This record gives sequence, C-alpha cells and structure tokens, in this order.
Amino acid sequence: MIKYRNIILIISFSLLLFSCKKDDPEPIPYQPIPYNIEIPFGFPTNLNIPADNPMTVEGIELGRYLFYDGRMSGRTHPDSLMSCATCHIQANSFECGIDHPEYIDGFTHGITGKPTPHVMLPMINLVWNSSGYLWNGFIYSENPNAQFRNIEDLVWMGIVAEHEMNSDTNRAKEVIQNIPGYPELFKKAFGSETVTVKNMGRAIAQFIRTFISANSKFDKYLRGEVQLSQSELHGFVLFTTEEGADCFHCHGGYGNPLFTTHLYYNNGKDSLFTGPYEDPRDRYHVTGDPMDYGAYKSTTLRNIELTGPYMHDGRFATLDDVIDFYSHHLLWSPYINPLMHHINNGGVQLTPNEKADLKAFIQTLRDNEFLTNPDFGPPDKFPDGK
Amino acid sequence: MRLTKIIIFFVVIVSLIMIVNSCKKEEPVDEQENQKIILSFAFLVEGQDLQTDTIIYTNEAGNHYLINEIQYFISDVTLHNSNGSSYLIDEWKDIHYIDTDIPTTWTWDVFDNIPAGNYNSISFIFGINEEKNQTLMFVNPPESFMFWPIYLGGGYHHMKLNGKWLDEYQQISPFDFHLGIGQIYYSYPDSITGFIQNYFNVELPNSAFSLDKNQTREIQIIMNIENWFKSPNTYNHDDWGGDIMQKQEAMHLACENGHNVFTVEFIN
Repeated sequence: MIKYRNIILIISFSLLLFSCKKDDPEPIPYQPIPYNIEIPFGFPTNLNIPADNPMTVEGIELGRYLFYDGRMSGRTHPDSLMSCATCHIQANSFECGIDHPEYIDGFTHGITGKPTPHVMLPMINLVWNSSGYLWNGFIYSENPNAQFRNIEDLVWMGIVAEHEMNSDTNRAKEVIQNIPGYPELFKKAFGSETVTVKNMGRAIAQFIRTFISANSKFDKYLRGEVQLSQSELHGFVLFTTEEGADCFHCHGGYGNPLFTTHLYYNNGKDSLFTGPYEDPRDRYHVTGDPMDYGAYKSTTLRNIELTGPYMHDGRFATLDDVIDFYSHHLLWSPYINPLMHHINNGGVQLTPNEKADLKAFIQTLRDNEFLTNPDFGPPDKFPDGK
Repeated sequence: MRLTKIIIFFVVIVSLIMIVNSCKKEEPVDEQENQKIILSFAFLVEGQDLQTDTIIYTNEAGNHYLINEIQYFISDVTLHNSNGSSYLIDEWKDIHYIDTDIPTTWTWDVFDNIPAGNYNSISFIFGINEEKNQTLMFVNPPESFMFWPIYLGGGYHHMKLNGKWLDEYQQISPFDFHLGIGQIYYSYPDSITGFIQNYFNVELPNSAFSLDKNQTREIQIIMNIENWFKSPNTYNHDDWGGDIMQKQEAMHLACENGHNVFTVEFIN
C-alpha cells in the first residue's frame, strides 16, 4: 500500500514540475561560443581584440543585426533611419564608393546633411590594426580618455556625431531595447537582456573584426594557385622597388600582406599646413609633433579600386588620378616624410605604360569573394521579423 | 671464440654505460645558478644624444643632415670567453629589432642563462645572416614592416635610416639609407643576375667583462651615427641620392663603414 502511495506521489510531483515548466519561459542560456579567427597565409598572428570584448558567435550575430539596422540611430520613422551600412557598403569594401545614389562622388554626410569632415577609411582587416583608427589615429589604445580607444568607441561616436547619425545614445538603446528579439540576443551575447550602448559597440566591433579580405588574385598568386599577367607582374615589381613606384614602404607587399603599415605620413599633397591651411584633424593634432603636420593614415590598398574618392579629403576621384599624383605632382614641405625621396623630382616619374602596369597590379588586390560573402551581408530579417 | 669476443664486447659496453651514468649522477648541478645580461641600445651623433628632425649635423663629406628615424636588426650576439670558447645567444630565437620610435626595443632582456666566466669581447651580426633572413619569418609588426622585396632579394631590411640633407642645389631632400640584400644587375634597374647579402660581423671594441655567479650585467651598445658616413669611406649623399636599395655600390660603402659604427658605452 505504501509502495503504491509513493508511486502516486512521485507521479504527481513530476506532473507538477512539468506543468510549472510550461508556464515559465525557459531561461536564456548565457554560454557564448568563442569565435576563432583563422589567420590567412602570411598575415600577422597578433590580433587587436580587447580583453574585455572577446569574439563570440553570439556577439558577432548581434553585431551583424545592429550594423544593418537603421533603428540603431534611435529613430523608427522609415525616412530617418540610419545604420552603419547606410554608408559602409559591402560591395564597395565597406566604403560608400563613388557610385552611391545619395553621397555624390563618394562624399558622405550625416542624416541632417552635414558633411563628414574626411572621406571614409577602409573597414577591412581592422583586427590587425593596432596603430589607431581614423585618418589621424585619434582613437588609440593608450588614449588617456578611455572613451576613445578602439572600434567599440567609434559606435557611440557615430550615433551622436552631427555628421553621422545625429542622435543620442539613450534614444538608441531605448529603441533597440523595445524591439522584440534584441533583448534575447543581448542576453546570449553578453549575459543581460538590458541593452547598453557599450554592448552595442562591443557587438558591432566584433562583427567588424570578422571582415577579413585575404583572397584576392594576388593572394592566390602567392599561394601558387594562379599566375599574374606580364603587366600585373611588372606592376608588382614597380610597386616594390625604389627605382620604380616605391609604394611598398608605406603600403606593404609580399612581406606585409595587409598592404598598409597603418602608420601616418605626410605624402606631399600640400605645401602649407599652418594658419588658414591647418587641418585640425591631421596627425599633428594627435601627437603635437610638428613633423606630423599634414600626415594621415596610410590606407590598405586591398579593394582600393572600389573605395574612391582617395586621400583624406577625397581630392582624387580615380586610381589614375592617384598614380598621376605620385608620379608627377608631389609638393615639397618641411614636413614631407623622408620615405618620399622622389619629392624634388615631383614624383616617381612613371611612363604611361608603367602607370598602366602599376594599376593592373593594384587591381589584383580586389577580393570578390569578400565583397559578396553572405556572412558580411545584411540579414534576411531583423530579430523582430521585419 | 667469436662468441666470447661478442660477450666481452657487450660486457665492456654495458660497463661503460653504467660508469658514465654513475658519473652523471655524481656531477654537481647547481640549478640555482642564474647569470643574465641585458643589452641596451642608444643612438649618438658626435658623442651627443640623437636629436631627430632638425638639420644640426654635418657629415664627413660636408652634407648638412637630419635623422628622422632608425630601425635595425642585430642577431647572433656572441660572447667570446677568455678560454677560447664562445657563447652564441639563443641562435634563432633572438634576432633583435631596435627602433628609435619604440622605446621598448631599446632594451633586450636576453633570455639565456649565460655561463659565468670572463669574456674577452662581444660580437654580433649587423642585420640577419643569409640562413636566417627569410621572407615571412616575421609576420607581426613592427618587424614585418622591415620586409625587403622579393624581387630585390627578399628577407628583411638590415636597417632603415631615414633623414634629409641639404643637397647640392640647396634643397632639403629626403634620404632613405636602407641596407639589405644587394643586387647584381645585368642591365640596371632590371635583369638581376645575383644577390649580395650585406650583413656583416661587428666586433665591439672594449667589450671585455666578467660575469659572476648569479650576476646580471647591463651592456649598452651605441650606434655612432656619423660613422655610417665617415670611415673608411666618405659617404656623400649628393653622390648617391635619396635611395640606395638598388645601388649595391652605395650599400657596400655603408657596410664597410658599419664596422666602425658600434661601441660599448658602459657595462654595469
């Protein structure tokens, strides 16, 4: 009799337990899966991933939604949405490109029409950039102001900047908090359903750090998979020789496949830098070193044919313009970087054929697989199903 | 008879092994012994600390010049013992990069536990020797930024010394005094038929020192910059222009002068 009573009790208790489970929502697990970056051939093994924002599958997924969601600007009206992807177009190597329907000739502006002070910088292979962000490197890891140290910080800056989203961070996080699906994604990625701007920045930074372009024709050539044409090979020689175009000291090559040093150079665009000619956003205004007047970040040349206009102020519309500049139109100043050793000849003096070959080589740095990789593209739907 | 010989041979071998092993056990091993050297690096011009980016220097040829930055490798640091032996520091692991813009490179806390003893001198390879100077050996900056183009011989720059000089037309012109693998041309600047490595061995004068048990000594190595342009060859920037990576003759002069560039400032 006692035996039957016990069995009935156990069954009843089990039913009670299961009925409780049905009523309560299942707790969202916080067990983010680490995401490992695969290092392409010849690339650096040291990565710029902050200790407080390790890469996770869940963080990257959330970052991808936010990157493409115009409601991150803190607005919901269809006419006033703005996301990172409004300007950062995958097909243009995450720059806006010169063919953008709204940003004429590649010159971007904020949602209110206020022009962006400098043109866009490449947003690829940034997980290997440890030398500062923006054209003057104002965002760097040792910045005394902890708000300006890494990609994470560029997110809140983009939200509030008048020449970008022109919003405020409270509105942004409130809007995201109230979109069904997002709180759960924040819980999975960061352990809390509460949306914070800090975690928005972390998620987007994680997503951006997955933008790895390392499968261009030139990469395939280095791996022995394809052959370059005679013109491209000659362009490669010009690229990497001092008596040629001498691009490699600042823009890398076989031994530095990032195709940039991420460092800052005065490359001879102007001859005057003080008084009315002073740019408050050049490298000098970060370091205070007069030798940095008119110095800006050396950009990667990967996918460069898609990322015009060129230079910090977008003064050159095409690659041909840039090659002509380095060939014939350099301007001397006391601040010229010593690597510009052809300065007193006005440039490297390439012939028309050499210019064509150099351009052909630079075009081998285009990575079509990266430009169309669905992992970096917009999600089919946002977390609320829209 | 043959079997006996084999048995005797076997017994002798086994006995020898046992004797050797027993000796090893009795050999005193002082695991606490820990001698270190720290190499530090500095840059002087005419005995004074380098001041960058200002034309205050004049070289042997009369060129007024400034230095903007210097980056170089040393490798195969060897300590020559008074008993005739020598100690090579860590062979492959520790090619050291020095950069005027990166203070952390100015000190090399050598990993090795150096044998105590009296050392007559120190030598090192300026740059990287042919065996070790392989492209993509360094994939991380700043060392990777020193790569020397494959077409010009590959590997890495031994040195980048960048500056400006007042040229013969009284213009301030940049110079990139870069050393690395030189080329032999069939027709300049194309058609390369051979390469010259251009690394060289530096014997540091007045570098004798002793290292007691458990002692750490700091040895400061100075680059006396003016000597790159001074002796035995008077190097004139007006003769060679702003770039020399494809001018083996200029690199050859520089390498000969390089033997006189380095000195020891102090051993503490």
